[in-house]
Amino acid sequence: MNRSIRALYLTLAVGFAVLVVMLGYWQVVAAGELDERADNPYRLEQQRLVDRGRIISADKIILAESVMYREKGKKYYRRYYPQGSLAAQVVGYATPQQGATGLEQQYNRYLAGSYGTGAILDRLRQETKDGADIRLTLDTRVQKTAEALLSGRRGAVVAIEPKTGKVLALASSPAFDLNEVSSDFASIRKQDGAPLLNRSTGGLYPPGSTFKVVTATAALDNGKWSASSTFDDKGVYVVDGKPIYNSGKAKYGLHNLTDALTFSINTTFAQIGDQLGGRKLGREMNRFGFARPTEIDLPSGEVAVSGRYRAGKILPNDQRDEDSARIAIGQENLQVTPLQMAMVAGAVANGGRMMRPYLMRRAITRDGVVVKQQRPEEIDSVASAYVASEVGRMMQSVVSEGTGTEAGLSGLSVAGKTGTAETGDPERNQAWFIGYAPAEDPQVAVAVVIEDTSGTGGTEAAPVAGEVMRTALSIDPVPGEPTT
Amino acid sequence: MSLRSRELGFLVPALLLGMLGLAAGASARADELQAGPWQTALGVAMVFVVMHAVLRLRAPLSDPYLVPILAALTGIGLAMLYRIDPGLAGDQAIWVTLGGIAFCAVIVFMPDHRVLERYRYVIGLTAVLLLVATMVFGTEVNGSRLWISIGGGQRVQLGELAKVLMVIFLAGYLREKREVLAIPTQRRFGLNLPALRHLAPILVFWGAALAAVVVLNDFGTALLFFGVFLAMLYLATGRALYVGLGIGLFVAGSLFIWATVPRIGVRVDSWLHPFDDVQGTGYQMVQSLYALADGGVVGPGFGRALLVTEGGNPRIPALETDFIFSAVSNDLGYVGAIGVMLLYVLLMARGFAIATAARDGFSKLLAGGLTAVVGLQAFIIIGGVVRLVPLTGVTLPFMSYGGSSVVVNFGIAALLLVISNRSRQGLVEAVRGAPAT
Repeated sequence: MNRSIRALYLTLAVGFAVLVVMLGYWQVVAAGELDERADNPYRLEQQRLVDRGRIISADKIILAESVMYREKGKKYYRRYYPQGSLAAQVVGYATPQQGATGLEQQYNRYLAGSYGTGAILDRLRQETKDGADIRLTLDTRVQKTAEALLSGRRGAVVAIEPKTGKVLALASSPAFDLNEVSSDFASIRKQDGAPLLNRSTGGLYPPGSTFKVVTATAALDNGKWSASSTFDDKGVYVVDGKPIYNSGKAKYGLHNLTDALTFSINTTFAQIGDQLGGRKLGREMNRFGFARPTEIDLPSGEVAVSGRYRAGKILPNDQRDEDSARIAIGQENLQVTPLQMAMVAGAVANGGRMMRPYLMRRAITRDGVVVKQQRPEEIDSVASAYVASEVGRMMQSVVSEGTGTEAGLSGLSVAGKTGTAETGDPERNQAWFIGYAPAEDPQVAVAVVIEDTSGTGGTEAAPVAGEVMRTALSIDPVPGEPTT
Repeated sequence: MSLRSRELGFLVPALLLGMLGLAAGASARADELQAGPWQTALGVAMVFVVMHAVLRLRAPLSDPYLVPILAALTGIGLAMLYRIDPGLAGDQAIWVTLGGIAFCAVIVFMPDHRVLERYRYVIGLTAVLLLVATMVFGTEVNGSRLWISIGGGQRVQLGELAKVLMVIFLAGYLREKREVLAIPTQRRFGLNLPALRHLAPILVFWGAALAAVVVLNDFGTALLFFGVFLAMLYLATGRALYVGLGIGLFVAGSLFIWATVPRIGVRVDSWLHPFDDVQGTGYQMVQSLYALADGGVVGPGFGRALLVTEGGNPRIPALETDFIFSAVSNDLGYVGAIGVMLLYVLLMARGFAIATAARDGFSKLLAGGLTAVVGLQAFIIIGGVVRLVPLTGVTLPFMSYGGSSVVVNFGIAALLLVISNRSRQGLVEAVRGAPAT
């Protein structure tokens, strides 16, 4: 009988081995997938146990932090946003119910402390997870100026450092109070003007005449034109049997390319676009980053692709059969984000080299260990230094004597370009300004868009841009510890 | 070193493990270092020390590893119950004390288990009566009719006792019939079979087990009874054919019931597709799987997983009984859960070693059957938790909350030790009695 006993023991032991394998499947192999399921109560509970890192601006203002509280003796954390609605769409929120957006989502790994091998070691040591702080390039002084100027209106302001790509401000109006997300999300969603939308990176607008900066760059790059090439404006330019007029049906007569940009002469840029053709203009757009996702450290769902749209889909830039005359003046279904246009201005400011925009400078633990550092990075060279400086000189003329004089700053040379895109209603426009300052040694590049205004880019957007640039040029580094 | 000293040497760390578990659970609960319910812990430790003392006096030659394994399982079980609800651990400590008393009573009052063979038919009849009583007078809990109310809000699971009685009966019956069952006398359906009158009990058992599925509404109990029966049949005859035949018949019968009884169909569906109805029929299973996933490889430690809501309610229904293993896997992770499974494998190794060492057929069958019943029961409920077999309502021996289960399983351990003591005693006497050469 002993043989049977051994066989029975072996059978049962093999049965337990199968149990070990099955259990391993659930605890190790399938565990990640199960943890991610939306109806998993552990996932929600776990979030409340993590002391998430803080989000701190360049001027050491705390934008997000975790506040500890006790419930029945147990430690829990909830997210608190000391600045309320400041940079709300950029900071984003992180709640168990609504999920996470903005930087809260983008850098969740660091904020929640689940980066590197430390996470596994912490688990082995039974230590509570402490998230790393995120230090931003964004400066609340610039951000506050931008938001104050936008308040009561719909629109966006982007301010970047052209030489590095550091994002100084990403303002979108209307905004919302991040602290109300967990309690009052439904009413935020219902508010007019879609406050949850980050217009600076996710809002798509026709660029209007600001696009002429791209066309001018393409023209000079081509070698066929220079800043002093002369044109004769008859007040109309006909393409495909349809006329293109100047703003206010103005007629400028003999002028050069600099004058064309300074006074935003449509007929001249349409003629250049027509003669360049879709392929050449398209190649310039490629270099400027149109029709491909903008590389910025925000969730990809919150960053729109700038370019030509048809039936909701992005088109390639360089198709031969395009109406390049109308593209050249920012028409033909062109839809761009304020961020993209700020990068256009920034590339011109930086001698033709376009830098990758970034919001996080570094992720740093409470003990001061830097776990992630971001450095300036060139995306592409969009034009030669000579072409860039020529375009910049023309843009200076826009502000000194053309449509953008409202952006001027006393004692400083400012370069820029206005834009006034028409909406369906002839009385309502979308006002644009892109530019940079100081022209000789650019420290800040901006893009401003004001939706639904009776004014023009010159009257509405240019003053906002001027004020934002003035603030950006006046800021000094802030010493000491982060504060609220 | 004597067997009993070796036992004590293993018992002390096993008891410390449980005490540390309780203290860790209490510390996690209070978020500061605490000794935990040390009175309870000491009380339970005392029970094991008394058991050890009784063995020293009355069964000094019995297997030295069984009691330490028991102590480890009981200790981890208590720690898990304490972290779910301290009140449950208090109750369980009382059941463990009763189990200890039952254990000592068996050791003291039944120095020779072979008397049981004489009363095998009385014992078998009692087992049947207990099951019938449960079917007739039983109270339904969670849809299964396994309990009988005995007043004062207390319920007993007579099936737990019937389980042991059945093993005793089968050991006696199969010892008697093993020859006729082992030798085929006829050839039917291309198989060599013994005479029908010897085969009849198998068929009766098959029918009874399936009837239990429907009446008791408990697949686990039926699977356990039938599985133990097949295991013992195999031990007695050494013929795997019976096992294959039995499993085939059981599966065929189960499939038929699944297809015809809608209530059981729902259970099987929630086993195969728990995620189809997460808030309804699949709820318990899915919550348990989330607990396993949360435990991961190492787990957060005793009392640190989120098994219980802030209101003190377990997230998994029946966490303290059917799903105690999910609690272990969550708190202690894959590593801890494997440890607990290894304890059961060790327990079986010792039980089957006792069966191998036993010197007569009845003792071998009894020890083998008792070991199989504990091992199979652990397998069925853990298999339910990891979704290998449909979820059932049997307890995890020595760990699940519940008096009947604890007392009966301590009794089983005592019986195994009596058998072990007896066979070594016989060996010693045989050596002493041998003429000097």
